Amino acid sequence: MKKWLMYSAAPLLSVTLLAACGGSDGDDGSSSESVEGETTSETIGSGDIELVFWEFGNTGYDKLIEEYVEENPDITINLQNSDMNDMHDNLFTSISADTGAPDIAMIEEAQIERYRTAEDSFNNLYDLGAGDVQDEFLDWVWNNSENASGDFVFGLPTDIGPTVMFYRTDVFEEAGFDSSPEAVSELIPTWDAYEEVALQIYEETGKLMTDAGELIYNARRDQASQQYFNTDEELIIDDHPEIREAYNYTADFFDQDLAGDIPLWTPEWFAGMADGSYATMLAPAWMQGVIKDNSPEEGVWSITTMPEGAGNWGGSFLTIPSESEHAEEAYAFISWLTAPEQQLKSFLDYGLFPSAPAVYEMDEFINYEDSYFGGIPTAQVFSEAAQQVIPVYKGRNYYSIDDVIKEALDNVSAGDDRDEEWSASLDTIDRILAR
Amino acid sequence: MKAAQSTQIDPSKKPKGNREKRRTALAAYFFVSPFFILFLIFGLFPMVFSFYLAFFRWDGLGEMTYVGLANFQFIFNDPVFYSSILNTFIIGLLGTLPQIIFAILIAFALNSALIKFRNTFRTIIFLPYITSVVAVAIIFGVVFNNQPFGFVNYLLSLADIEPIRWNAEYWPVKIAIATMVFWRWVGYNTIIFLAGMQSIPKELYEAAKIDGATISQQIRLITLPMLKPITLFVVFTATIGSLQLFTEPLIFLGRNLREEGITMVAYLWRDAFVYNSFGTASAAAIALFFIIIVLTVVNLLITSRMGRSKKVG
Repeated sequence: MKKWLMYSAAPLLSVTLLAACGGSDGDDGSSSESVEGETTSETIGSGDIELVFWEFGNTGYDKLIEEYVEENPDITINLQNSDMNDMHDNLFTSISADTGAPDIAMIEEAQIERYRTAEDSFNNLYDLGAGDVQDEFLDWVWNNSENASGDFVFGLPTDIGPTVMFYRTDVFEEAGFDSSPEAVSELIPTWDAYEEVALQIYEETGKLMTDAGELIYNARRDQASQQYFNTDEELIIDDHPEIREAYNYTADFFDQDLAGDIPLWTPEWFAGMADGSYATMLAPAWMQGVIKDNSPEEGVWSITTMPEGAGNWGGSFLTIPSESEHAEEAYAFISWLTAPEQQLKSFLDYGLFPSAPAVYEMDEFINYEDSYFGGIPTAQVFSEAAQQVIPVYKGRNYYSIDDVIKEALDNVSAGDDRDEEWSASLDTIDRILAR
Repeated sequence: MKAAQSTQIDPSKKPKGNREKRRTALAAYFFVSPFFILFLIFGLFPMVFSFYLAFFRWDGLGEMTYVGLANFQFIFNDPVFYSSILNTFIIGLLGTLPQIIFAILIAFALNSALIKFRNTFRTIIFLPYITSVVAVAIIFGVVFNNQPFGFVNYLLSLADIEPIRWNAEYWPVKIAIATMVFWRWVGYNTIIFLAGMQSIPKELYEAAKIDGATISQQIRLITLPMLKPITLFVVFTATIGSLQLFTEPLIFLGRNLREEGITMVAYLWRDAFVYNSFGTASAAAIALFFIIIVLTVVNLLITSRMGRSKKVG
């Protein structure tokens, strides 16, 4: 029964990206592609050793692979791109069945928790030499890829998603504020200030602070030192105030009608980016592609720091399932792909934000100015954010729990009592964890 | 007639016939074997494995732990499980009952001699059925949008009705999903009914017209009684279809599947592939299996009763 469900469900899962895209790496709004749920397959190179590489999102890795196979003529890489949820579900099934896994699989940072119990199904990259490149990456990213005792590492980090505040310069000006990134950053150093500014903008212009209140919750959640679980997989949501504060803070916005309740990744949410009907969008680095796609006019959006520090939303790891017959070749390839030089190219071409801090020192990176965002050095804002990120342990039921809280917030936005919704969602969470 | 002939011929060639029969039988089994092999692999094995899994706790990757009846206890104590059953029936009724009535009426209209371009209309009415169900759910997601500018909410606002949260409130969710089911299947059923209607002799209608019967009398006294077997077929397929309802709620509500709109299949899918709890998912599958058995028996009882009343009448 589970198999036929799997097969019938697979094409549908793709669409639910819209609902569960907690951190689709580098998914820069190519949702039309994702909705179709197609897997594209591309074979690059003509060497004898073929590596199958499963990826998702819009990484632009095909270009880098062409470069790699030119230098390594014995390698052929079969790059298969699918929707994020599809890819993870397929990987899950093939690992569960012990057959069909690729040589290289990209795993999203929160999804990696799902595979923790399957250490046997992956190569320990420390055995392949990952210890040598460990220092190239941000510590917190690396830790997310390790097991609890730190002697097993699942994958090499690709990009990350440090969060910043995107804002509409036109709305800020209309409300009588200086709209330069420095001024906005000074204007909104704290979440209290963010709420005050929201009130002022609403009074002056009648516009909302954001159209998706969910993003406010995400931003505050990602700044918390601990989220839903501690490292022993115990639920800490109730005796750990930060999440409740994030929840209440978002509920305040809904109660005062300062935030809309448009779900992310829906057509109206995409359309809203061009409208200028709201002032800010709290989002990670890879969202810049989404904004550019949906709001083509240059110079209206700008970027500044988020109040009270950054969080991380998204990013991926490249893993080598133990089924692979070419683990060493695969490792050589992924360590090349995640090396600082290649990460710089991914950033310049696709906006994927590097997980290797060495890139932050490179001239090309520092001097990168984006005319779309008013010609400011965007890379610097992001790298500043990246270094502020507090590492959190997410746990294997992360997305399920997160969805329950989002549902509660959705009900609050429609006028339900926030405390009742909170305790109802705790009950639901208990039932999910009891399964 | 043929059977009688073969028994006459058979005795004289008995031995050879038997051997031949066996060979034919073997060949027949050979030719049908792909079905049975595929059924064993993709049908029977997963079913049996699902029964087995229902007694274990398993996340799909790690160790399986035997837990006895705990999975059943769990789902029978889960209010969402009961919601999912109730939702399935409510959406099923909302989606199929009006659909069958409409399908009969449309089929009657398409069957009548008065309508021009009948073939064009028949094609148009069938089109929704061949549309991808995913596309349907996405389009209806836009139509039944929560926001004031959503299509249905906009129409309602013209009548001064407050915007409705179509994917979150108890009845609106069900109505929205039932509408998708209605839209997609009404054409299919219309074509089935149309086929049935065309087998009704024209003379009956002509005689009725001469006797001065109105159109509603014609539908009530000729069309409906003559369509009984077709109606039974449509009701059965619609029942099975609504028990399997999955794609529409999944895409309309998202992977989280709110309690207001979750259906039985969606419930067990979510347990397995979102919560990675294959044990409770299998337990739910078994519960669903028994619900389907009960419904089938009820359906069979009704059919045989209808058959009997036909003979009496």
